[in-house]
Amino acid sequence: MKGAARVSSPVMFGAVGLLLLVLPWLIGSGYYLHIAITSLVFVILATSLDLLVGYSGLLSLGHTAFFAVGAYAAALLYLHFGMPLWITLFVSGAVASLIAWLLGLLVLSVRGHRFVIMTVVFAEIGRLIAYNWTDLTHGQVGLPGIRPPVLSIPGLMHLDFASRPAFYYLALCVAAACVAIIWRIAHSPVGWRMVALRENERLAEASGVETQRIAATAFVVSAFFAGLAGSLYAHYNGFVSPDLFYFSYTTTMLIMVYLGGKGTIIGPVIGAVLFTILPEALRVTADFRLMIFSLILLLLVVFAPEGLVGLINRFTKRPSAGEKPADA
Amino acid sequence: MDFIPQYLFNGLVVGCSYALIAVGLTAIFGLMQIANFAHGQFYMLGAFFAYWLTRVIGLDFWAGLVVSVVAVMLAGVVLERTLFRFLRGASLSSSVLATIALSIFLENLALNVWGPRPQKILSPFDSGGIELFGIFTTPDRLLMLLLTVVVVAVLHVGLRYTHTGKAIRATFQQREAAALVGINIDYLYTLTFAIGAGLAALAGVLLGTIFVVQPSMGGVATLKAFIVVTVGGTSSFAGGIAGGLLLGLAESFGAIIAPSYKDAVGFILVILVLLYKPDGLFGKWS
Repeated sequence: MKGAARVSSPVMFGAVGLLLLVLPWLIGSGYYLHIAITSLVFVILATSLDLLVGYSGLLSLGHTAFFAVGAYAAALLYLHFGMPLWITLFVSGAVASLIAWLLGLLVLSVRGHRFVIMTVVFAEIGRLIAYNWTDLTHGQVGLPGIRPPVLSIPGLMHLDFASRPAFYYLALCVAAACVAIIWRIAHSPVGWRMVALRENERLAEASGVETQRIAATAFVVSAFFAGLAGSLYAHYNGFVSPDLFYFSYTTTMLIMVYLGGKGTIIGPVIGAVLFTILPEALRVTADFRLMIFSLILLLLVVFAPEGLVGLINRFTKRPSAGEKPADA
Repeated sequence: MDFIPQYLFNGLVVGCSYALIAVGLTAIFGLMQIANFAHGQFYMLGAFFAYWLTRVIGLDFWAGLVVSVVAVMLAGVVLERTLFRFLRGASLSSSVLATIALSIFLENLALNVWGPRPQKILSPFDSGGIELFGIFTTPDRLLMLLLTVVVVAVLHVGLRYTHTGKAIRATFQQREAAALVGINIDYLYTLTFAIGAGLAALAGVLLGTIFVVQPSMGGVATLKAFIVVTVGGTSSFAGGIAGGLLLGLAESFGAIIAPSYKDAVGFILVILVLLYKPDGLFGKWS
């Protein structure tokens, strides 16, 4: 992935890192920091979806279901058992990946439009359950009152993450760790096999790649990070509702992946940040916002399917000899 | 048990609308190899055009019906000639995402033009309820059934006996071979797309007299139509019609068992079909 490496050259990397560290001093701890935290949650979601859509070529339209499942898991564990974020982060991820594994047994046997439909259907079933299982989820009312964690070592320190800058650093650490791990996976032999699955499943199969297992791995791993993001979101937002299952969340994540450039990891990170800021910048035209977004997505898909990273590479450097982001 | 005929009838009426929407989707998918996630928006547009023509402009119902169906067909022609021509031969993910974007665009366009409030198309009939063989119904529902039967009959005859119909079936089976023997593929694509859009619009107008018209109805219709296509199989028009009726009936009876999970019935149906008959219940190779 030469192009991505060029964008993330060491100097840029350091500058961006520094910027992220001092961000609360630059933009204050008000509404802008809230947007920054939200965008960090979406960074995890978009990169995890990239593993599935960009690397493995499995177009899942149900990614937000894993996000919502993670958020509900965190909410229930906190409200019933008082589990803090440190635990729910992993349990939410585990619950989401367990569901993904079970679902994968069912949906990964089909490809193409059938897979797409099945993933939509799954998210809708999740929403119906969240709506109707009122004993557990309180239905449309949702579950309020999930608190951010408190880090307390007696006599040494007491850090309450309810303060926004504190939560920002927490989210930054979690998001950075997630992106690093996802990057590692994508650039490991497992990631190469995912690309093989995307490029030509039969050829991959013939070359000894267990495509079904790789597809399942991609599905489970991406669900883990989506669930983890759900937990982070629940503890930050303090409230979860069936709306999290809405198709519009999935569309948002897909726009982020495509805007940045699918199959590059760094692209979806950029896409997630841009696409959380952009809606705020376009606040004035609230009525026409979704129309503008859908037009952006439409134009991107038709004219720039390789996204911003691809565009930058196209204009800055000779075409790289390596892999090009091919279509799923 | 005497409520069963009533549920059967209600299921058939809703199933007819699913069938009308799904037939077009099947045709577009089978012919052009594009999974059109904006198809349900034609249904929504048809309903809103008819609402606008009859309630705001003041046309009578029948004129409104014809004009809105024709208008949606024209919109279909324009879209097919522009966007869908770009998407021809594109990968599945590109066409899915592009049509989803189109769908969101159209839905929000309707939201901005007509507002989010549910509207109703006035029925052309004066009389309210009728009772037939112990089934309570309205003339609107009977019209829905009647027109669906007419449409299916016309489609059947058209596909079987006219020159264009034969060309469509040939293209459906083997696109390249059909083009080789001199069939004008571009013309057929546009025609099929327009007819598919028109049928969805027709369903929208007819159902708009029975239920309500609102911008969000298109997305739901798309999902239902894809369920129908998956259940019925993509290899034949008949599958779309049978699948539509089946889904309508299944939902109607599902509502008896668990009203709040009515919509889940279709989902479960899809899962079962994909598990046991992945090519659809009426699929060619099943």
